[in-house]
Amino acid sequence: MKNDKLRFYFMIILLGLIIGTGVLYLAEVIRGEALRFGNGTPLILLLIIVIFMIFFIKHRSRDINADLPMEDERSKKVMTQAAAMGFYVTMYWLLAISFFESFFARMFGVVKLDAGQVVGGGIAGMSIIFIIAWFYYQSKGRLL
Amino acid sequence: MKTRIKELRARHNLTQEDLARKAGVRRETIVFLEQGKYVPSLQLAWDVAKALKSKIEDLFDLDD
Repeated sequence: MKNDKLRFYFMIILLGLIIGTGVLYLAEVIRGEALRFGNGTPLILLLIIVIFMIFFIKHRSRDINADLPMEDERSKKVMTQAAAMGFYVTMYWLLAISFFESFFARMFGVVKLDAGQVVGGGIAGMSIIFIIAWFYYQSKGRLL
Repeated sequence: MKTRIKELRARHNLTQEDLARKAGVRRETIVFLEQGKYVPSLQLAWDVAKALKSKIEDLFDLDD
């Protein structure tokens, strides 16, 4: 239980760091240029991840406050299956990015995506896919 | 899967939280077990049965 509490506080610190990063990024964008779809997309993705983390922390805080474990066999199964599904679908997402690279480049107002944008887009997509998969397996009764 | 967890829990005057604490799992897991939506591992089935002072075969019915 003590480890669970430490992990819980670590998650809160991590959330704070992510929010801080988002705020810094927003300040940089506003200072440098007008906010548009291309440079605003990371913020949208960050917001989705932050909302998920807040939901997740709130979910777990009830267990921590009631002196219950933060993780058990079912929650580990949900996490494992969501991660596996996230990995599997991300393969197709990465293929889509490389196949439709010119489309995404036009969307972000550039001629060609650079390596950072491709990697960032891949990771962001993987996060979103994982979040969706987590909600799906969380609500599903039967797990493998 | 059918279970008698809710019935036995009520008989022992336990909340879901109490049972979760005794079995060493999250309350949510007890909810899914009572609804018959989650098939527990043998270890968890044993822990829940022990917490309810019952036998596994009296708690769970896997015949669909």
